[in-house]
Amino acid sequence: MTDGVIYDRGYRPYDGTRRGRNGPRLAVVKDGVRRILGLRRKARRKILPWTLITIALVAAAVFIGLHFAAGSIAAGLAEGLPRYGELFDFYSRIALLFIAVTGPELLAPDRTQGVLSVYFSRPLTVDDYLAGKAVAYLAVAGSIYVVPQMALHFGLASLSDRGFLTYLADNLDVLWKVPAVAFGYLLIHGAVVGVLSAYVKRPGLAAAAFLGLLIAGGGIAAELSRSELPAARWLSLLAFDDHPRILRDWAFGIDTQTFAAEQAGFDPWVSLVVVAAVTVVGAAWIRWRYRRLA
Amino acid sequence: MGWVRVAAVAESGRRSWHSVGYLAHCTATMTDHVIDVEGLTHRYGTVVALSDLTLTVPPGVTGLVGANGAGKTTLLRILLGLLHPTAGQVGVLGHDVRTEPLTVRGRVGYMPEAGCLPADQTAADFVAYTAELAGLPPKEARRRSSETLYLVGLEEERFRYIGDFSTGMRQRVKLAQAIVHDPALVLLDEPASGLDPEGREQMLALIRRLGSFGIDVVVSTHVLTDIEQTCEWVVMLDGGHLVRSGPLTGFETSGTVTVEILGDAGAVVRTLQARGVPVAVDGSTLAVGPGGDDLFDAIRDAAADAGVGILRMGRGVASLEDEFLARAGDGAP
Repeated sequence: MTDGVIYDRGYRPYDGTRRGRNGPRLAVVKDGVRRILGLRRKARRKILPWTLITIALVAAAVFIGLHFAAGSIAAGLAEGLPRYGELFDFYSRIALLFIAVTGPELLAPDRTQGVLSVYFSRPLTVDDYLAGKAVAYLAVAGSIYVVPQMALHFGLASLSDRGFLTYLADNLDVLWKVPAVAFGYLLIHGAVVGVLSAYVKRPGLAAAAFLGLLIAGGGIAAELSRSELPAARWLSLLAFDDHPRILRDWAFGIDTQTFAAEQAGFDPWVSLVVVAAVTVVGAAWIRWRYRRLA
Repeated sequence: MGWVRVAAVAESGRRSWHSVGYLAHCTATMTDHVIDVEGLTHRYGTVVALSDLTLTVPPGVTGLVGANGAGKTTLLRILLGLLHPTAGQVGVLGHDVRTEPLTVRGRVGYMPEAGCLPADQTAADFVAYTAELAGLPPKEARRRSSETLYLVGLEEERFRYIGDFSTGMRQRVKLAQAIVHDPALVLLDEPASGLDPEGREQMLALIRRLGSFGIDVVVSTHVLTDIEQTCEWVVMLDGGHLVRSGPLTGFETSGTVTVEILGDAGAVVRTLQARGVPVAVDGSTLAVGPGGDDLFDAIRDAAADAGVGILRMGRGVASLEDEFLARAGDGAP
């Protein structure tokens, strides 16, 4: 008997298990996480997201080190160092860059490269697709806020004179305030970048438009709100990037009064309404757009 | 009016789906079709893309042929449940696409005509991802991805980025993603588009092989020779109307009769034309018809009347192109 050589394996039918609708949904989430982080993509796709993640984590280590060093020098010196609420400004700038870089990558290429026609020929609805992308975005971008803050929290607990568990017990509110405030940032930024990514062809252009709208657009809206225009104070609400920061101040009891909406006399709950409204309108807009594309 | 799936039976290696019937008819008529379309109309605003289409497609390899703008892609998108028809009923593999679009899409593979591949992913990753989107577990999806890319001839290149692929390789990736989840039916929209003659032949060979694997195939194209090479059944569309839906083997029965005359062919021509039979003359050879078997009697009688002999007479084999050109524009099935 001679050894056989198979030159053509032919086609083998698949008789294994098929997952229900949750399988495709989970696949979209996994692919979204990979796309944001540049995993299974060319090396240059990994550079920016991983640089920003590294900066966020290193910054958390530096802040813990500062608290340790200050505590070693003199009791009470560490009290003057920035903590949770104040650090949101720092992390929100890193997250803003991260979202500008990765947000458009999450949606725009699928649309511009025509891949949606393949995805939606599978048992996957537009809502499944968009929900999967949203979960991937919230999970990864949220970790930019939450992971360093939690590292700082547990670092401070381990440095505390009162003991680790006592510190945690005394600061339980941090465990919900940090994720809640981060959620506010993520919602309004995600809605804006999502709408832009649903229309703009090049991710770089969407990133520039996103940063321009939030930073320059917010500045212009703030300036106009102080002008003599009729109903000018309402224009302060268009400074979208201010609203999650107002919510942060509200949650952590910080009184800065530096934001246009605050100066125009709006209470913090108005910012909460703006965040919710922008999120709902943005989500509905993106959904409408993708239902037309499907 | 709803659809009911009566039974789904796999037999003889080919997954045949029996059958679909109308509830409104109160009787579930047993059929053997993968696609059942009844009174299908689709409009884009005021433009009628498909007009009152009624057809059935049996198992096997079927060609969907028509000029650009005939409504082929619209029909494919309706079959996938991606477009909702303005009117009519559409059943695929025994499921109503209007009420069970996800079930249909789980059993159907689709290869779009336009570019649909991510440039920054490897072929293996992309095809595995599309398998997961069809419900396969990740490990199985990776395995099926490798097997399918091997099948389409991309085993060596599967870990290269798709952006670096040639047009022919991209078409193969598109085909691989369409079959990776082992569909019962594959819809291929212009699969040989943009390929050179060698690549076209290889793609057509792959499509023929799909049929031999027991996968039912619908190939949409405007290249009639592709259909003749690959298909057993043909659906012709023209301007959104059904021109013909039937087996490819039936064309010669409606073709011309070729006659070689021994003697004065002109007399035979005059006699036939006087009886209203179309005749084309090429020397002593006549192409008579098209028409049915009564053409033979008419030619015999004309030759007898003219007093000439018939050297040779036989049915001319009409090509798909002859058929399409003859029937397109009539708008009648």
